[in-house]
Amino acid sequence: MKLKEILKETRRAFRLFRIFAAQHLKKLMEYKIDFVTGAFAFLIEQVVNLAFLAVIFGGVESLKGWDYYEILFIYGFSLFPKGLDHLFCDNLWNVSYWMMRKGEFDKYLTRPINPLLTVTVEVFQVDALGELIVGVALMIYSLRHIDLPFVWYDIPVALVTILFGMLIYTSIKIIFTSIAFWTKRSGHLLEMAYSMNSFSKYPTGIYSRTVRNFVTYVVPYAFTAYFPASYLLRHTNPFFSIFGTVIAGCVLMTISLLIWHKGLSVYESAGS
Amino acid sequence: MNLLKKTRKFLKTYLPFTRAGIQMATAYRSNFIAWFAGELMYCFVMYYVWRAVFNSSGSGTFSGFTLIDMTVFLFATAITNNITGSDGSYDVGEEIKDGNIAMRLIKPVSFNSTFLFTELGWKILSASLLFVPIMTGIEVYKYFACGKIMFNAAAFALYLLSLLLSYLFSFYMNLCFGFMAFFLKNLWGFNMLKTSILKFLSGAVIPLAFMPAALQKTLEWLPFASLSYTPVMIYMNKYTGAETVLRLGMQTVWVIFFYLLSRIILSAAMRHVTVQGG
Repeated sequence: MKLKEILKETRRAFRLFRIFAAQHLKKLMEYKIDFVTGAFAFLIEQVVNLAFLAVIFGGVESLKGWDYYEILFIYGFSLFPKGLDHLFCDNLWNVSYWMMRKGEFDKYLTRPINPLLTVTVEVFQVDALGELIVGVALMIYSLRHIDLPFVWYDIPVALVTILFGMLIYTSIKIIFTSIAFWTKRSGHLLEMAYSMNSFSKYPTGIYSRTVRNFVTYVVPYAFTAYFPASYLLRHTNPFFSIFGTVIAGCVLMTISLLIWHKGLSVYESAGS
Repeated sequence: MNLLKKTRKFLKTYLPFTRAGIQMATAYRSNFIAWFAGELMYCFVMYYVWRAVFNSSGSGTFSGFTLIDMTVFLFATAITNNITGSDGSYDVGEEIKDGNIAMRLIKPVSFNSTFLFTELGWKILSASLLFVPIMTGIEVYKYFACGKIMFNAAAFALYLLSLLLSYLFSFYMNLCFGFMAFFLKNLWGFNMLKTSILKFLSGAVIPLAFMPAALQKTLEWLPFASLSYTPVMIYMNKYTGAETVLRLGMQTVWVIFFYLLSRIILSAAMRHVTVQGG
């Protein structure tokens, strides 16, 4: 009975997502050129970052034991959780920056759907395709130069860690968006927390101990890329890399939902 | 006497815009401080990357940069970009899109200057909240890293001059870009694209000194290095005296070029302007 209800709810969520995504795509078609240039911009940004890596590896053979192609692989991997969260949960930025303050958040409360679910499905941010395309390209390119100790279950491991990596991103965004329930605006705090994701793309060995512990245990961005990717590359620390990612995702998601619901219960509209 | 009177009148007209800019910036200060904190985060990541690079390369310099140079470069570039960045293209684009531009056009003030003086207000606030502490931080870092005071007053004064030219160039260039909204109506995507391309062309991600020689030469002659690379190199005392004069001269030429261009585009656009909504 319980399971059946959950299944029904999930199906409903997917159906809603399809409807909202179609709606959003129609809006994008209104500004076609704008949307294409937007996705192109994200692509260029990634290319510039890659040129930077190429310059660095023009001077050195390896970075703390990781060679150019391995770093590219980690970088490519990092774009999947980040890009997926960007694709599906970008609307949280709007909520934290201005929707609460202008009272527009109220519209989610008047609908017979979970507010958090509506917030996330309402925007289907196609710009993220820029990141995802670069991610795929990097994976393919780097794998041609790497001797991967590949076994069949690496594929489900990759998928699961990408999914939970995405949850880490989304949870962090929900936590910092929720602050706006109390303060009406939290976009700037979210900005700060989100920008720490730059730490995820490089081997944690390059950081000082404090920074390393911080991005592993406090704001666990290291689990969105470096740990799972390093497992896939060398099969080292399987337990820590895989379960660490899953646990970090679950713990953060739980915390974020608790804070979100607490915030929702104290929310007072700001609109006139 | 006449000039003095004119200047007084000019300031009386435009200083209120600056005051308004300061007030707006004060209201949004937590936003731009947080925004900059994000940029600093990126600097720290890059610092660790460079530290690892210098450790594994075994040699103390990389294209003429030591690790200390690189650290100074990263943070000085971040704060320089913050000061020279201009939201002109975004603001003009939005006003054209929502029709508010009409309110600005019917007033007996220069269209371009109202934007300039409002933004100067923002810059005054961000200079006092961000520029002063970061620059002090960099100097303190240099003192501890080198063991003696490294502050070079002449280089710093020239840096400030270059910074001013950089900002003016950035402002007028962004304004010209914003005027594209007269023809395109929606600039969001183009703004994103411009930002990511400029990041590369200005040498903010990869210092020009690390690029292949031909590319480096080209980018040095293009105006965009002026956005952060030129002032930072002057600050770091990497240019000879003659080179510094040449770079400052080029910056001046580009400021004048984009100033004139913005006036030409504006007067051409005025003949075609259609206000949507209002």
